[in-house]
Amino acid sequence: MSDVEDLIAKALPFETLSSGVRERLAAAAQVVEALEGDLIYESGAAAQALYIVRAGTVLLEPSSGRDSLPPQAVQVGEAFGWTALGGKAGRRYRAIAASPASLLRIPGDQVLDLVAADSQDGEALRTQVANALQDIRAPIITARGQGLERALYRFAHWLRSPVPYLGLIGYALLLAFWYLTVEVLKLPRFAEMPGLTQVLQEWLSPNPTYGVSIHTPVYYQHILVSLQRIGIAFALATLLGVPFGLLLGWSRAFKDYLFPLFEIIRPIPILAWVPLAIIMLPGSELPVIFLTFLASFYATALNTMLGVKSIDQTYILAASCLGASQLQIFRHVIVPGALPFIFTGLQISVGVAWFSLVAAEMVSGQFGLGYLINTSYTTVQYPTIVIAMLTLGVVGYVTSALVRAAGDWAMHWRARQLAMEG
Amino acid sequence: MSFANEAAVPRGALRIDQAVKLYDPDGARVLAVDHCSFDVAAGEICMIVGPSGCGKTTLLNAIAGFHGLDGGAIYLDDQMLCGPGRAKAPVESDRVVVFQNGALFPWKTNLENIAFGPLVQKKLSRVEAFEKARYLMAEAGLEGHENQYPGEISSGLRRRVEIVRALINDPTVLLLDEPYRALDALTKSVMHEALLETHRRTGITIFFITHDLEEAIFLGHRVVIMTARPCRPKRIIDIDLPSPRDYTVLTSPRFRELAADISAAVDEEALKSFERGEKEG
Repeated sequence: MSDVEDLIAKALPFETLSSGVRERLAAAAQVVEALEGDLIYESGAAAQALYIVRAGTVLLEPSSGRDSLPPQAVQVGEAFGWTALGGKAGRRYRAIAASPASLLRIPGDQVLDLVAADSQDGEALRTQVANALQDIRAPIITARGQGLERALYRFAHWLRSPVPYLGLIGYALLLAFWYLTVEVLKLPRFAEMPGLTQVLQEWLSPNPTYGVSIHTPVYYQHILVSLQRIGIAFALATLLGVPFGLLLGWSRAFKDYLFPLFEIIRPIPILAWVPLAIIMLPGSELPVIFLTFLASFYATALNTMLGVKSIDQTYILAASCLGASQLQIFRHVIVPGALPFIFTGLQISVGVAWFSLVAAEMVSGQFGLGYLINTSYTTVQYPTIVIAMLTLGVVGYVTSALVRAAGDWAMHWRARQLAMEG
Repeated sequence: MSFANEAAVPRGALRIDQAVKLYDPDGARVLAVDHCSFDVAAGEICMIVGPSGCGKTTLLNAIAGFHGLDGGAIYLDDQMLCGPGRAKAPVESDRVVVFQNGALFPWKTNLENIAFGPLVQKKLSRVEAFEKARYLMAEAGLEGHENQYPGEISSGLRRRVEIVRALINDPTVLLLDEPYRALDALTKSVMHEALLETHRRTGITIFFITHDLEEAIFLGHRVVIMTARPCRPKRIIDIDLPSPRDYTVLTSPRFRELAADISAAVDEEALKSFERGEKEG
């Protein structure tokens, strides 16, 4: 097989064609060389041929003005210029060689003739081209599409990739290990452990042996109480931690006064605060919230401060020579510039919030998932411990995902930039 | 001498008078700029070339007001910007800097970036500022990129946005610190033509630091060759090529002569600087 035919065989819409049709396509193809910066076709020009990239990269740029779409890069083995198959349509993009490139040029009418001549392969080609056009357009449409449309496209794309299935294998391995060690092999130290089937039965049972399953209101009460505590503590930590961190990063004097103190208090483990929190604060609810808040506050404040420090000084100089006051620089440069770090901080913050919440709930408080684990342990209700642990995993993941989503929303400029670079 | 066209009133004459700047890293006093004096006429495109780290940017920063001088003075249209009794030039939008690595705010759209100056200075209302920004973007061939973020457009377009962001403030002096350093040759030449066009339209004074000698000769009315550190003018060369210029001058014999002349002078200084092992600045 010639190199030309080989390339055609690999290009997206042609890969399923019979070799006969591919031979004829190869015969119709010419090799075109382009230097860096060469214009392959201008937008609006009559579309005569489609191209497959043999070497180099080609950039497709939308005509300026009407569409504000990002340019697309076409790499080796990929095809572009499909409008050539669309009758008398003009080019919607202009194509420029982004590096010295070698291209295969296949006249559109010859492809159309082939389609017309060969009923079976012609039909196959038609379907393939239609699919290819859709695939090429899809990312463009979704780049413009807002919110839900884009999310759905990404989700569909994700489902088609191997990523979710590899992840499932990971789950399967852990569950298999659990099942085998506890219930099949009954290894010595594992004998006391609740088994996989035992936990699942208990979790899904309408009449759970130990009183907690998805059918019992008390299960949701535990979740709700924990979520409520997390919500209050996290909100407080964010409301206080972000401004505190911004000031630490922004004001030299503020940092000089408070940072040494902050650095001495921060390493004190949350658990060491338990007795003082209980002595200091009334009731059983406030100590738990205070302990949860404390860990979150450190993470948020510290990351926010680092975020301010990470801002490129030229942004600040640029803003000042465009006439911005100190306050305006704070609002337009410091705050948005620190956002990526702030949200990293919030991610960590919500994680450590769960950590300290469960610790606090084990010591003090009524209800909550940490409390459930502790009481289940003392009353020898082992399956319930695992139910509470798994629930913590799921709920923790959801809260973390919510923070991430909020970050993506607040920094959509970043998502768009990364999409272009990636 | 006036370099601006008749429509634009030439403003923005700079006078640098015996400027001295010391750096004091770890107690070792280093002279960055030493009794440096030269004038830039109103409406002139003045190109500054010299070895890396010679103190060109230090001079530019003093004009912009990012730091002060340790001696001498800088005047803008005969008003003292900094000098005896005035430690630092005020940072104002009559002198706008376009930075080496670009400083568009990535979290603002191109349009918001451009409207930033008039908005923070409260010179224009939101509607007016965006209208003016839109108009200037269209004029600079940036139509269609208004609502994109800087991260979404090419580096050449970003540079253009940044220059429009400076121009919307009607500055009298544009301070450019190797703005096209990272661009490929093709994009660079497009940028050059656009800058010359902008200059024809506005007649503002351009203070332009570069390492690219062809760029210096092609764009400049004059080229100031700086000595190795401490920085002061070694030679000032008038570029007597006809204006307006296009890319055909690059092959003209006069252009070659100037290039040979300037590169000999720059090489001499670069060698001195290299032998002393100075780092890029």
